[in-house]
Amino acid sequence: MPNPRKPDGSLVTTCAYCGVGCGFKAETIGGEIVRMIPWKEGKANHGHACVKGRFAFDYYQHPDRVRTPMIRSSIDQPWREVSWDAAIAHAAAEMQRIQAQHGRGSVGAVSSSRCTNEEIFLMQKFARVALRNNNIDNCSRICHSPTQFGLSATLGAGAASQHFDSVLQADVILVVGANPTEGHPVFGSMLKRRVRQGAKLLVVDPRRTETAESAHCKATVHLALRPGTNVLVLNSLAHVVVTEGLHDAAFIAARCHPAEFEQWRALVADARYAPEVVGPEASLDPADIRAAARVYAKAKRSTIYYGLGVTEHSQGSTGVMCLGNLALACGMLGREGVGVNPLRGQGNVQGGSCLGSWPHMLSGYRFVTDDAVRATFEQDWRLSLDPEPGLRLPNMFDAALAGTFKAIYIQGEDPVQSDPNQNHIVAAMKAMECVIVQDLFLNETAKYAHVFLPGSSSLEKNGTFTNAERRVSMVRKVVPPLAGLEDWEITVKLINAMGYPLHYDHPSQILDEVARLSPAYQGMSFALIERCGSVQWPCNPQAPEGTEVLHTQTFPRGKANFMLTGYVPTTERIDERHPLLLTTGRILSQYNVGTQTRRTGNVAWHDEDLLDIHRQDAEARGIRDGDLVAISSRYGETRLHARISDKVSPGVLYTTFHFAQSKANAVTSDLSDWATNCPEYKVTAVEVAKVPATAPASARARAGAKA
Amino acid sequence: MSAAHGDGMVIAIERLVAMANQIGDFFAPYPQGQREEGVRNHLRHYWDPRMREALLAHLDANAGAGLHAHVLAATRLLRDEQQTARKAYAGPPPRG
Repeated sequence: MPNPRKPDGSLVTTCAYCGVGCGFKAETIGGEIVRMIPWKEGKANHGHACVKGRFAFDYYQHPDRVRTPMIRSSIDQPWREVSWDAAIAHAAAEMQRIQAQHGRGSVGAVSSSRCTNEEIFLMQKFARVALRNNNIDNCSRICHSPTQFGLSATLGAGAASQHFDSVLQADVILVVGANPTEGHPVFGSMLKRRVRQGAKLLVVDPRRTETAESAHCKATVHLALRPGTNVLVLNSLAHVVVTEGLHDAAFIAARCHPAEFEQWRALVADARYAPEVVGPEASLDPADIRAAARVYAKAKRSTIYYGLGVTEHSQGSTGVMCLGNLALACGMLGREGVGVNPLRGQGNVQGGSCLGSWPHMLSGYRFVTDDAVRATFEQDWRLSLDPEPGLRLPNMFDAALAGTFKAIYIQGEDPVQSDPNQNHIVAAMKAMECVIVQDLFLNETAKYAHVFLPGSSSLEKNGTFTNAERRVSMVRKVVPPLAGLEDWEITVKLINAMGYPLHYDHPSQILDEVARLSPAYQGMSFALIERCGSVQWPCNPQAPEGTEVLHTQTFPRGKANFMLTGYVPTTERIDERHPLLLTTGRILSQYNVGTQTRRTGNVAWHDEDLLDIHRQDAEARGIRDGDLVAISSRYGETRLHARISDKVSPGVLYTTFHFAQSKANAVTSDLSDWATNCPEYKVTAVEVAKVPATAPASARARAGAKA
Repeated sequence: MSAAHGDGMVIAIERLVAMANQIGDFFAPYPQGQREEGVRNHLRHYWDPRMREALLAHLDANAGAGLHAHVLAATRLLRDEQQTARKAYAGPPPRG
């Protein structure tokens, strides 16, 4: 093998793909990135990497990158290239015109978890000081908003209780609705390492995932439950714990509200949650439920990791609470090797949650309706803030269809591809008078946009990311922004154009402002992160270099709460016309809607989304491996090629959503979590049918994606 | 409230009723009193005022048709509460 060329520059930065947030050394030759070398000192990854972070960086200079701002008066007009000043002036004028005509609440904004903490903080500041409302949301609305809600309710902090390394001290690892070896590969490898060392692995997932069974790793118990029965099954695990006396009475007495424990015990002890009752409804063997509960409760150190398979349900927040309750009941919090840990999707989705990019909360998870909290911001920002909660992203789309929401500023998100019930979203987009998209590429949403502001990738800016273990790491400008501005600079221009004077010399000043206004980030600064490499919040005078494990002495509200988690089945049910349940997920080599990874060599590993179907369901419909099939739900239809698979049970279908033309969200419903409106992506009743060979094979038309 | 946030319906009332009932389903296992208070807290501190107003208008115009009994009671609390602002909370509804 020839020696690699010697780089003439290198900078340590943080990967923006999944919530692991690996440290990389980005090496350049003549101003061009040539290699991403996993950084040995990275505390999240310890020198490891996956095929996305390691190889999928070329998107940053892909010919599709937009390099000039563009505007148009209507979506059927061609784009017109303009200067930055002209684009910003036009966007601001449109926002102001619409607010004057339709009211202050008729416009809103969405921030991106691919952007930095500083940029996310600025987006919510944009809504609050420039739009003067709270119509600001972030993409965790559609992934982990139930985490924030459910963990805040039970434990008092909407974030992972542990640092990643904690898994290496666990005796039992319970993975619920997550597939870390593909979705969070570097953490997944660490988890597997611990299982090889002898830890027991429990998996709750409808699919026989790579995590549940692979060459070096096999679950002690795999509960392959029917999609939509999480809360039922988790309550059943709790039923076994309390009826067999496996709970940790001393921990509960010392750390939890006892009356709430008794209330909860009575609920889960009810006969309807007995494994023998739950088993048949969830397609599980009752003995497996009992076995899993005993393994979890009896170990010295049991830990929970979970993903979107818990949150993206009509009872998503309830499911998260079930996990909090279970850990509390068994005393599995506040030490190394235990805990409840969300595996966050995007590189900075934890930051998206922390930085107040919510319609009902300011940074640090504090309610906008709280006068005292608002006052601290009002003093710092020198203006009064709207005291009422704003619209959430799905509410904004509903309101657009109702004709009362007219403009949106979208930073690094692609709702048309990523949000549920695509027909509904497209209609909402078309109903708006001004859609401002700030992105690297003309994504699906940009088809309905009036202003396009070319953003910068995480390789082209300075700032910080917060990963799934609350670790704040540096993002460094390896190459200059292709279109000239870092995303935070664009937002600052827009805020100024809307009439609120604002200036920062450097993003470090934005983090200083975050620290000033957010208790958990109180001690954070670029200087501290530079010195320590990375810092986990809470970071304050009591913990000047951050905190690895939460809840060691007390919970944020003193004692923890058991929440009552009654099972309420989703209204999305199978019937004669839609007899199968479709669920969705990700694979190793591609990332989310694929905007970045589809534009790299990683398409060599995965160039098409396939529909996994059990042999029995396929044979009943005359479907063979590789056939093009039509998938229809109550909401829409799409086409994919079928793959006969034993990873799914009969009655369950599975697909990924990495390619726009797969239109997985053409079939998903607009049902959502009761507490947060997080969409129910994981359960859609569908039917599949083979597409006759003469029909146009739209799923084969992939030229666009590869361009 | 309306003047500041703009007028008109933001979400169809059928959808708001379904969303409110979903919230009600979660709090249903709590004892009476707590149950209604939990729904009230959620509607007050998580819903845009226009969504709350639409629900209150539905209470006046159609006696809150379609709302579960305890959600109906919670919606009434929402109106009383506008005079007596209680702080938002994230945990279980307080007793008493």
